[in-house]
Amino acid sequence: MMSQLIQSIVDALSAGATLGLAALAIGLVFGVIRLANFAQAEIITGSAYCLIFTWDLGWYVAIPLSILVAIAMSLLMEFAVFSRMRTANPATLLIASFGLSFLIQRVYELMFSNNVRTAPVASGLAQTVEFAGVRVQLLSIATIVIAGALLLGLQLFLTRTSQGLQLKAAAADFKTARLVGIPAGRVIGLSFALSGILSAAVAFVLTVQTGAVGPSFGVQITILALVGAVIGGIDKISGSLAGGFLVGFATSMLATWLPQEMSNFKDAFVFVLVIGVLLFRPSGLLIKGRGVART
Amino acid sequence: MSIGDNGSARGSIGSGLVVENLHVAYGGVPAVRGISLEVKAGEAVGLIGPNGAGKSSTLLAIMGAIGRTGRVLVDGRDIAGLPPEKVVRTGVALVPEGRHVFAELTVADNLRLGAVGRRDRSGYAEALEQILTMFPILRDFGHRQAGLLSGGQQQQLAIGRALMSDPDILMLDEPSLGLSPTAVDTVFEALDLIRGAGKAVLVVEQRAEFTIAFCDRTFVLHDGEITLTLKPEDAEKVDVLTKAYFG
Repeated sequence: MMSQLIQSIVDALSAGATLGLAALAIGLVFGVIRLANFAQAEIITGSAYCLIFTWDLGWYVAIPLSILVAIAMSLLMEFAVFSRMRTANPATLLIASFGLSFLIQRVYELMFSNNVRTAPVASGLAQTVEFAGVRVQLLSIATIVIAGALLLGLQLFLTRTSQGLQLKAAAADFKTARLVGIPAGRVIGLSFALSGILSAAVAFVLTVQTGAVGPSFGVQITILALVGAVIGGIDKISGSLAGGFLVGFATSMLATWLPQEMSNFKDAFVFVLVIGVLLFRPSGLLIKGRGVART
Repeated sequence: MSIGDNGSARGSIGSGLVVENLHVAYGGVPAVRGISLEVKAGEAVGLIGPNGAGKSSTLLAIMGAIGRTGRVLVDGRDIAGLPPEKVVRTGVALVPEGRHVFAELTVADNLRLGAVGRRDRSGYAEALEQILTMFPILRDFGHRQAGLLSGGQQQQLAIGRALMSDPDILMLDEPSLGLSPTAVDTVFEALDLIRGAGKAVLVVEQRAEFTIAFCDRTFVLHDGEITLTLKPEDAEKVDVLTKAYFG
């Protein structure tokens, strides 16, 4: 029983870390230009396709390429679509990102068909190891390590570099940041690029988990990441991360511990939790006060 | 230029801010109607008037933060079409209404960010030292989160942050808003030093008497138009003040 509990906690930490990264990718961009980018799903999918198609060339080629694809897609979306909608309100931007998401999914269907594509991406991580009677999948540990390293790197970037500080300021108050002299185009580009890197990490973890990628591969996690970002407080970078982690952790724990006959309702329980949080903290868990107005 | 050495103006005659026939509208509704004004180096100019008169819109339009028509010249250069971050690099800085310090960042980081818009990076350390001398509280609380400072301290930080860009023209939107009388005195003593150091100061204020007395000239705005120009000696004339606000 104890070993099962520990095992489930490690799995939940891993799920929370993955969703936390996905939500953070959304929160970084939202903080700067008020865009909850649903089309991030397609960045995850594109990066995952890249892993599948290039894995035979070696991990040292496939992984950097998948990161580059994610960054390029992210910047291209900003340049081709969102940069032309600067004055649009967040609701309009969200709808535009839905449209973009559906469009890219159809493009994936045309290019790669509706069938899933498979490859043994980092299949060694699918093995389980045993510590003191507790069996844990290597991928769970790898996910926690990857997320920890990315978060540490991001934290150092945001606090120790001028560019990071500018991004942090812009995410907190974009209008004032511009009035202070922080270049809008540069911080927006930076937020999309970082979002792309985080999406690539999510794509890697999910691709290793499933080994199969289809046109709507990134949609499910992006929906949950959006939910997580909102309940944590999408207005704040740390809020998005915490909310994403919470939703991922709760989903995984429910999947393990709900009785068999109720396991189909796992998502319903998660959304009851979400509704509960939003009833009492409508601006998100980490946002003080009820309002999120920006002037 | 040195902010601290009171009275050593660097600006030459003719340098500063010139606004000609400025118009601003929100969704077709005019907010500023053909304002023209000039603020020379080493001079403080006030803008007063009731709420909705177009004072803040004037400052935001000069910064390029909202759409405008008309000409804005900075040291003789037309800055038409420049976004706010580029206007800062021409030597204009705005201390926005409500201070808008980056609350989760430290005081030191707020000041670092103010230097992003500097034209001359080499003067960073000297500028920082001058600002910390002018506002010693910012030195004492350098590692404190800006959001934890009092209103008066935040206003000092907002002014310090703006000065870090080494502006020739400093604009302030209601710097006394929500501050105690002591804090207001501190802020305006600093503005006096800044003016004395040769910078052009354009200040929007609600405190009419205080502003008129402080500024070299004060314009009264009503419905987006300048309706009256006042001198410091007008500050104690009740009839003039009444006319300024009630027409």
